Amino acid sequence: MDFGKVFLVLKREYLTRVRTKSFILSTLLTPLAFIAMMAIVIYVSISDGEVTRTVAVIDQTEVLYNNLEELDPARYSDASSLPLDSVRAQVLAGDVDGYIILTEDNISYTEKPTLVYGGAGGISFIESVESDVRRVLREERLARSNVSTEVREIFETRYNIDSLKLTEEGEEEDNAIVGAVFGFILGLLIFIGVFGYGAVLMRSVIEEKTNRIVEVIASSVKPIELMTGKLLGICVLALTQFGIWIVSYIGLSLAAAPVATMFVDAQMSNIPPEAVEASASFDPSKLEAFIVDPTIFLFFFVFFIIGFLIYAGIFAAIGAAVDSEQDTQQFMMPVMIPIFIAYFLNLRVMENPDSTIAVVASMFPLTAPINMISRIAATDVPILQIITSLLLMSVTFVGLMWLAAKIYRVGILMYGKKPSYKELAKWIRQG
Amino acid sequence: MEIIHLEEVSKAFGKNKAVSDVSFSVEKGRIFGLLGPNGAGKTTTIRMINNILAPDTGSITINGQTASPATQKMIGYMPEERGLYKKMKVGEQLLYLTQLKGMETSAAKKAINFWLDRFGATDWKKKEVSELSKGMSQKIQFIATIAHDPDIYIFDEPFSGLDPINSETLKEVIIDLRSQGKTILFSTHRMEQVEQMCDDICLFNKGKTVLQGDLREVKSSFGKNTINLEFEGDGSFLDKLEGVRINNRSTNFAEIRVLNGQNMQEILHLAIDHAEIHKFERVQPSLNEIFISTVGEDNLKNEEVA
Repeated sequence: MDFGKVFLVLKREYLTRVRTKSFILSTLLTPLAFIAMMAIVIYVSISDGEVTRTVAVIDQTEVLYNNLEELDPARYSDASSLPLDSVRAQVLAGDVDGYIILTEDNISYTEKPTLVYGGAGGISFIESVESDVRRVLREERLARSNVSTEVREIFETRYNIDSLKLTEEGEEEDNAIVGAVFGFILGLLIFIGVFGYGAVLMRSVIEEKTNRIVEVIASSVKPIELMTGKLLGICVLALTQFGIWIVSYIGLSLAAAPVATMFVDAQMSNIPPEAVEASASFDPSKLEAFIVDPTIFLFFFVFFIIGFLIYAGIFAAIGAAVDSEQDTQQFMMPVMIPIFIAYFLNLRVMENPDSTIAVVASMFPLTAPINMISRIAATDVPILQIITSLLLMSVTFVGLMWLAAKIYRVGILMYGKKPSYKELAKWIRQG
Repeated sequence: MEIIHLEEVSKAFGKNKAVSDVSFSVEKGRIFGLLGPNGAGKTTTIRMINNILAPDTGSITINGQTASPATQKMIGYMPEERGLYKKMKVGEQLLYLTQLKGMETSAAKKAINFWLDRFGATDWKKKEVSELSKGMSQKIQFIATIAHDPDIYIFDEPFSGLDPINSETLKEVIIDLRSQGKTILFSTHRMEQVEQMCDDICLFNKGKTVLQGDLREVKSSFGKNTINLEFEGDGSFLDKLEGVRINNRSTNFAEIRVLNGQNMQEILHLAIDHAEIHKFERVQPSLNEIFISTVGEDNLKNEEVA
């Protein structure tokens, strides 16, 4: 292979694409879109859903309704004086979402209360009504039993635990959840990167074919040099984008806590001391959880590069086998299946990074690029597993590349009918 | 001196034998025409000379070296289906393609500027190819082929898709290149261009060479067995002639190839009886006639249908 020529091809591929509007915009806008998406997710999970579901309460005990109203005045309305038929009519008309009859038997729990509703609202609606009702019933029962305040406090306490991770350096605050989510996001980035930039490579190969320039290039460069140059050029393009994102992330995560502290301190000095306690619920140092060990990014780049190389060869071969993008679909299936399996498995890996399925997925070369990085971020992966995974991936890369190069070589000069898998096999034997 | 030499070259794609046992040589400083109907194996042969495809058997040598990346640099190749990157600027594109042929950046820039200037295309340097007209991009394509100053030029069907003015320009450039001692090989199925330009020809049919050599020798070997007849009046007498093949027939002209050594005077007598004869000339057959009689009419008809 003439690496001078490979470099020329790489340079062209990179420079023509790095200057395109779509690359610049996606580099700038993706992080913004991501932040916006996170904000929406957080907003939705904090706010009680976008619609308030209402429940008419027919209270035969004369004490429970007041307590319910205190919990959520927007949700509960008093229908104790109305006849049951008209309440049912209201539910059917959609004026309220459901009704519940509360009796003395419910307080003694000799009978379960029943929520009758119109079908809208789903599980979260039922669960929130259940927890509200449970709470008022329990409080009423405790009040009637004349238990001491101490016992009532015991019942009202919500027990949580803190977790610390023991390392050589001592105890550290454990960010298992941040780690798992972070790992998932890194896996997602590799998924998007391999798939998105694989498609860019494929289109680039098709473009050279439909432009008919490929024959001119082939009279100067070996097909394998052309393919290698294009593949590396696009790999460097992807690394540029990820590099920009990661450097901004590191910068932001390092700056977030000090900057936030500065703002909070500045505010504190201006407000009266009695208000300080209220605002103390926000602790700027919590933002430090977003600072991650930068070695994870090193792993990220290694796994992305090998993962990209594994899939990119196939994408290039598909591009060479067809004349237009519409024809690629039948060949895309075998590529999409493992990569989507890896994506879906990634949720399981995030939940339980040490489970057998997570370990297997992080070793199997076609899913490893995505699933191993998630595991590394979420848990302590034995170094032997990482090495095995890298070795298996490298072997797969070499094998797939060898096949892809043969298809590519024949394909770039073939026009006309879309080849079948049988013909592709023939091309491989020919090469 | 032989600059391109093919020795018993064969190439098959699956069961289809595209080229079988082809041997020919191209002499330095000559214009060599590769003729033949579509599908005769011309493009495959050209691709093998360019080291884009490898022959199954046989050998190809360029300037004494086996076809390889090193020999690719000696050749400027313009394929039949021309193409450029549409979204790339003309200057950058030419630089890229010239560098791929192994030229140093500064030398490449100089050569590109020279040719852009010569074709009056300097203003296009910063334009994307998609902004250019077809004629303009054909010129850019041509510059891309020749900018690295190779010794050998290979054009696959160079005149297809060219308007008469560009055709004429291309013809002049090709003849000019030969006068500089360069070697040109081109394929075509347009005979008049071959007759006007080529020193040597090689005729392909069904993957084999069926005729080759110096164009004049080839033609004289067929003898003066053709009549160019110009007349005025009813031309229907031509249909009564037997043992002849009539090419290029129009209302007052016919090129008559006499088969089986028939007496040409009889044809003249018949003509005088039916029409006013302006010209009766005994000549060598046209290349078109040679092409037809060598390849066989059936093949040509098939080609026309295709």
